[in-house]
Amino acid sequence: MAETESGDKLQTLRAMRDRAVRGGGDKRIAQQHERGKLTARERLALLLDQGSFQELGALATHNVSEFGLENQRFPGDGIVTGFGKINGRRVAVFAQDFTVLGGSFSEVQSHKICRIQDLALESGIPLIGLNDSGGARIQEGVRSLAAYGEVFVRNVMASGVIPQISVIMGPCAGGAVYSPALTDFVIMASDSYMFLTGPDVIKAITGEQVTAQTLGGAEIHTVRSGVAHLATDTEVGGIELVKRLLGYLPQNNNEDPPQITPYDPIDRMDEALNALIPKDENEPYDIRDAVAMIFDRDSFLEIHPGFAPNAVVGFARLDGYSVGVVANQPAYMSGALNIDASDKIARFIRTCDVYNIPIVTFVDCPGFLPGTDQEYGGVIRHGAKIIYAYCESTVPKISIVTRKAMGGAYVAMSSKQMRTDLAFAWPTGQIAVMGAEPAVRVLYAKDVKSAPDPKAKEQELIAYYRERFFNPYRAADVGQIDEVIEPLETRPRLVRALEVLRTKVQQNPPKKHGLFPS
Amino acid sequence: MEHLGWGLQMTVLGMGLVFALLALLWGLLTVVLKLDREPEQPATREEVAEEIEQALERAEDKVGVQVPLVPTVHGMDADLVAAIMVAVLRHKAERRQVAAAAVRTYWPGSLLYASRWVGAGRSRQTRSWQPGGR
Repeated sequence: MAETESGDKLQTLRAMRDRAVRGGGDKRIAQQHERGKLTARERLALLLDQGSFQELGALATHNVSEFGLENQRFPGDGIVTGFGKINGRRVAVFAQDFTVLGGSFSEVQSHKICRIQDLALESGIPLIGLNDSGGARIQEGVRSLAAYGEVFVRNVMASGVIPQISVIMGPCAGGAVYSPALTDFVIMASDSYMFLTGPDVIKAITGEQVTAQTLGGAEIHTVRSGVAHLATDTEVGGIELVKRLLGYLPQNNNEDPPQITPYDPIDRMDEALNALIPKDENEPYDIRDAVAMIFDRDSFLEIHPGFAPNAVVGFARLDGYSVGVVANQPAYMSGALNIDASDKIARFIRTCDVYNIPIVTFVDCPGFLPGTDQEYGGVIRHGAKIIYAYCESTVPKISIVTRKAMGGAYVAMSSKQMRTDLAFAWPTGQIAVMGAEPAVRVLYAKDVKSAPDPKAKEQELIAYYRERFFNPYRAADVGQIDEVIEPLETRPRLVRALEVLRTKVQQNPPKKHGLFPS
Repeated sequence: MEHLGWGLQMTVLGMGLVFALLALLWGLLTVVLKLDREPEQPATREEVAEEIEQALERAEDKVGVQVPLVPTVHGMDADLVAAIMVAVLRHKAERRQVAAAAVRTYWPGSLLYASRWVGAGRSRQTRSWQPGGR
């Protein structure tokens, strides 16, 4: 008798589980597939190691009995949450299920996400969210809004403690956008979009006509707004990016990122590096070529590649260890710093700092971009972010001046005073307060004016100024540069420097938190 | 000088004899070949077509024979070995990119390689504020 009862109960459980697995039902799943999209469970199956997923809250449903919702109860309530492993590393995950009520965000969804957030934080493991939701569940009213708040506060508490990665795989609108925005990395996959107010509201209020993609598509957020860090054409590509990104990050802020077995000789010296900097100082070159030659082969993962291309940031490996790379990009706007580049660099420095990733900075910057646009936009406070981030960070920091390092940009870009541990320069380095022409105009205005041939005199003084200041040796003379090195020596130098600095510990004064320029 | 003249005479005589014998042999072989040749009969159109058809059939059956032998590595087709090698290298590169377990030097969170200096230091970094001087 007991055996029969147990058997019945098992049948009931199996039926309920089966229903949970089918999400919004076969018809909705077919529709999702027709749109070229995967279901939440299919995405998790691709993300996690086979057989590693442990689901939590699969049978949770909402309690709302208004607006017809009483007849629309689905086990799981439109979200799949749980633990799993990615390449053997424990992670917490949630995936919104668009097949259930459009993945609309409910109180139960919030409870499930919060539960997984709490467990991830307590366990010190990364949290990955796959977002695909039409927005708040309107039928739940303020409860749905409060539910967002519960998730936001946990995003903030976990920020800087455990890596948080969001992958946008469908719509993400209204209040829902803030949870991904509070996480460390946002990846936009496929034809996803993010915005606070949709095209219809915009049309009603301002009369402006836009589509969801032109308002908040992947290209907009990875190139113009900088909200998203990476984008891919496919959902599978987005999932692969998560795995790759995670490879550079530790489990939490107390641990080190994984080191992989070194596969590139540390003493590899690429002759092409010595020929990288063009003779003409105004001729551009691509700093990514230098990065490719210096760091472990094919190890560079650029973050924010489309946003503010005058700066390059990303993760790479050096002797198998994860490092953060910050660089000016002379191939775009001569590598001048502007508002967006400052934001991009500062954010990346802080990311590296919280996750114990050493920072290597390549400097080739003629200064901050001049102009009213920049000044009105607050380039001062944005530029200050770079200074703040470098000064605040306690991870090993190494800088290499490859060519221009002028004025305030020199100071900001990881100069010795920014608590940089080691400062190198290539022989092509030009470290000066300003360019030769303006410097001569300021310093020798009278001499030039009173000369019999002012133009010739000016050229003579410019040449003199260049010879005197446009080299790294004066900076080395006063200790601002630790060593002038041949470009091809950079890799072995960096490997050995980081080997020493690996156990660096630096402590900031006790404080609640600093006031980051914003 | 006497001996030199006699030596030259003998050389010319010897060499001449050799070349004369070779020429005689060549002439003899030419005559034998001419006598031994089968009478030529012009092939008919049908015979030529049949011969071509047979040649084509042979070619279709034995295409492999016409292809030069593929180099092998330990008995395996070299192209296949190269393809396997590329796939292995690609797989290795992909594993490195995601820091997969097989290429990691230690397990995440492992205490085996943890520096006590760093561990204690990070603890101080994240708990820098001790109320009441504790």
